[in-house]
Amino acid sequence: MIKDLSKRTIVVSLLNELGYERVAMACSASFAQIIGLRPERIEDLKTIVSEAAINAMEHGNKGRPDARVTVSMDCQGDTLIVAVTDEGNGIKEHPPKPDIEKIIEDLESPVGFGLFLIKQLADKVEFNEISDGGHVVKIAIKMNS
Amino acid sequence: MQQHTNEINLEQRGAITLFNIRGDLTSFSEPFLSEAYQNANTQGVDKILLKIDKEAYINSGGIAALIQILAQGKRNNQHIGITGVSDHFKKIFGMVGITRFADIHETVENALEVMS
Repeated sequence: MIKDLSKRTIVVSLLNELGYERVAMACSASFAQIIGLRPERIEDLKTIVSEAAINAMEHGNKGRPDARVTVSMDCQGDTLIVAVTDEGNGIKEHPPKPDIEKIIEDLESPVGFGLFLIKQLADKVEFNEISDGGHVVKIAIKMNS
Repeated sequence: MQQHTNEINLEQRGAITLFNIRGDLTSFSEPFLSEAYQNANTQGVDKILLKIDKEAYINSGGIAALIQILAQGKRNNQHIGITGVSDHFKKIFGMVGITRFADIHETVENALEVMS
């Protein structure tokens, strides 16, 4: 499923169960520390990886216990690239930015925070279907951002 | 995976009810927060301080659970403060708008002084 792995790519394969996103989160933090990402951006990366893995488990794999979520990390030039792959078909329609005023007034459900945070914290986010099945979210974080 | 639980101790500090929240804040926290809030609310509280572990893992599910407490607090005209939050989650709480409905305080002592 994952192609074009460079020698430095780190790959983590997760059980499709909430809580295991923390394995990828910890791994990404260690990798980021090794390649010299600033501590504040490592905290951002941890949130990004955690939320992307949770979305993959819940929405991509729809909670299927036999499915997997794969998280790969690589440093390409001045950019840290994280790819989170699930076995689903992707999101047909992204939820709108959560409106906390409406949520507080009970006019909107408290959903969509994960994707919102990923988009806010990353320098670039791409959503792509994989030709032989599955869906990947590619997230870029500039080393000097 | 070990079942996630929160231990939430309620403590009265003058006019302020302190929620001492132990553990991570995730979607699994919602029933624990809700039960603690209902227990406090039946006592007729006006001011609530949510103390979170500085090292707690907080994800979007935990943020949603916190927002539900803020919503109930607003409906009941309660003033809610939050303390124990790392710099990263102060930023996150600002991004999602939590800081529009709850003040973030550096320490419990600072919160008690400002909220009293």
